[in-house]
Amino acid sequence: MLNHEAIQVSQLIKKYKDSSTPAVNDISFTIKPGTIWGLLGPNGAGKTTVISILCGLLKKTSGDVSIYGLNYQENREEIKQLIGVVPQDIAIYPTLTAYENLKYIGNMYGLKGQELKERISHCLSTFELDHVSNKRIESFSGGMKRRINLIAGILNKPKILFLDEPTIGVDVQSRNIIIEYLNKLNSEGATIIYTSHLMEEAENLCSYISIIDHGKIISDGSPTELLRQHSSSNLEQLFLKLTGRKLRD
Amino acid sequence: MLRLFATVKKELLILLRDRSGLAILFLMPMALVTIMALIQDAPFRDYQELRIPVLVINHDKGNLGKKIIDGLTNSKVFQVTLFTESEIEAKKKVAKSDYEIGISIPEDASEQLNLRIQKFVTITLNEVGIVDTRVKEQTQSTKDTTISVYFAPNIKKSFRNSVLSSIKQVSSKLETQSMLDNFKKALNQDDDSTQNTNQAIDDFINFKEEAVIENQYAILELNSVQHNVPAWTMFGMFFIVITLSGSIIKEREDGSYLRIKTMPGSYFTVMAGKIVTFLFVCLTQCFLMLLVGIYLLPHLGLPQLIIGTSKAAIALVAISSGLAATGYGVLVGTLFSTHQQSSTFGAVSVVILAALGGIWVPVYVMPEAVKFLAEFSPLFWGLSAFQNIFLSHGDVLSVQIYIYKLLLFFGFCIGISYIINEVRQ
Ligand SMILES: Nc1ncnc2c1ncn2[C@@H]1O[C@H](COP(=O)(O)OP(=O)(O)O)[C@@H](O)[C@H]1O
Ligand SMILES: [Mg+2]
Repeated sequence: MLNHEAIQVSQLIKKYKDSSTPAVNDISFTIKPGTIWGLLGPNGAGKTTVISILCGLLKKTSGDVSIYGLNYQENREEIKQLIGVVPQDIAIYPTLTAYENLKYIGNMYGLKGQELKERISHCLSTFELDHVSNKRIESFSGGMKRRINLIAGILNKPKILFLDEPTIGVDVQSRNIIIEYLNKLNSEGATIIYTSHLMEEAENLCSYISIIDHGKIISDGSPTELLRQHSSSNLEQLFLKLTGRKLRD
Repeated sequence: MLRLFATVKKELLILLRDRSGLAILFLMPMALVTIMALIQDAPFRDYQELRIPVLVINHDKGNLGKKIIDGLTNSKVFQVTLFTESEIEAKKKVAKSDYEIGISIPEDASEQLNLRIQKFVTITLNEVGIVDTRVKEQTQSTKDTTISVYFAPNIKKSFRNSVLSSIKQVSSKLETQSMLDNFKKALNQDDDSTQNTNQAIDDFINFKEEAVIENQYAILELNSVQHNVPAWTMFGMFFIVITLSGSIIKEREDGSYLRIKTMPGSYFTVMAGKIVTFLFVCLTQCFLMLLVGIYLLPHLGLPQLIIGTSKAAIALVAISSGLAATGYGVLVGTLFSTHQQSSTFGAVSVVILAALGGIWVPVYVMPEAVKFLAEFSPLFWGLSAFQNIFLSHGDVLSVQIYIYKLLLFFGFCIGISYIINEVRQ
């Protein structure tokens, strides 16, 4: 497993049943272990589609996807143990408490007993949620829900963490905690795959960036490389240059 | 196992926090059964005393058969249908409650009756010294004339007795008449004799009540409680379709289902978790409903629920009915994409299946045209099984066909749901 790339994608195409143009149109890329990879693009570019295929939620139309040399057709259950997923929408049972949600998720990963208890309280305190551990999620604020949604994805200490717009609709404080944590997790060895439409955030966080639009990767490289290539002063400017100023739905 | 356990625990917690869901699951069926049992108490009693369909096989060529049929018809209590097939076929129809009473009059009924009466007359006259010269030799032996009467399982005891005595009345009238005729004929040849016999006239015709379901126990009568408790138990179980399909759809809508799919454990673990949870709900419902029938309804002036003798059969029918209901819930939850759709379709379909299955009104009261539709309702299978256990002291063997049907329905629903789920990705 060590001599494998974290993720290898070649000629990936995804066409939704009821649409004429593919949402992901023949993209290929490789992600080395330990990378923080940012997939950036305007709304509807295909970010969620790509990340959903990478974490096994969506079937691809064609192409190859391998996660540490494993593929979803043959090694689905093994891959699931390796990855953690933080979906774009909050996916937590609203009528259960933070603790109950996390306990259920931990059990699903095979964690239990004292080990799980400690893991949960460690995560909750990292994200400053320990005081609401026994409160129902429905009583949480938007930022708190984002944080618990994130904890749910990292409870199993994944080797690869997928995050789909994890900082959408959160206040500066929550965003800070999240970004800090992702850096820390990465320094401990995790590969992080992250989508966003916020350029500044990506510029600071990511070691590698792909810019996607209309289902195609239109540019990629490290943030500094990208800026140099396109002689832009910041990513925001570069982004507009590449994707145009036309409004997206 | 840890995953299944965790899933069940999660489902139970979510259920417990959903007050309106709990009300639908537990309070509604208990309220329904109490109300319906009270409302239908009088109609049930009335119905038992109205027109009673009787199936008559008359092989008798003589007077007796004709007279019995006339007597039944003129009584205005019975609705007589003549039947030409075998007694076995007739018993089957009665067992199915197509008819409530079956009567078989054997071929030689009139003949035997006449022979016996002649013999009786001759002996009596001989005793008093009058020789009936018409009968030279009385060597031909006589047999008892047995008219078989059999009843459907749901017939009241009191009613059976009145039927038997009505038939006896008809035949004893006939006996007396033909006896008098015989005496007259005999005495006409010997005019001066006006003797009367003191010998008591016994019934020559024996009525034998036969059970259509072979069982050593008495068969119980169907009343409002015996009908409504199992009926609304089935309804309550199937009404979980709303909560269960809602829980599946909510998970899909709020994204939890996506998270579940990213976690280890297959579709079957997740579904098994739901099935186990809701099966537990169904069994709890069933238990509570039986308690209502046994302990609450008698306090309201209704008869106590009698649950027969086979607890194992009750448990198996409850489990298979619960599985059928959860399977249906999974299917509805898989089929529809919004809670609105699933709860509307779920509620309407269960009410229709309930109506067809004889939950509101027993199937035997329904018009012929819709009776056969009951066979397609899983609620009818469960109800029939419960009634067989409760009313006819059925056991696991006697209800196994219903258990198989319910389990098959469960398998069918889960299979279809699995396929839909695979195709949809
Ligand atoms: N389930 C779906 N069925 C059909 N089209 C879809 C579906 N999900 C997304 N799309 C389309 O695919 C394209 C990419 O969507 P998405 O991956 O969600 O973009 P992003 O996450 O970058 O905003 C959009 O045009 C969107 O309308
Ligand atoms: Mg998206």
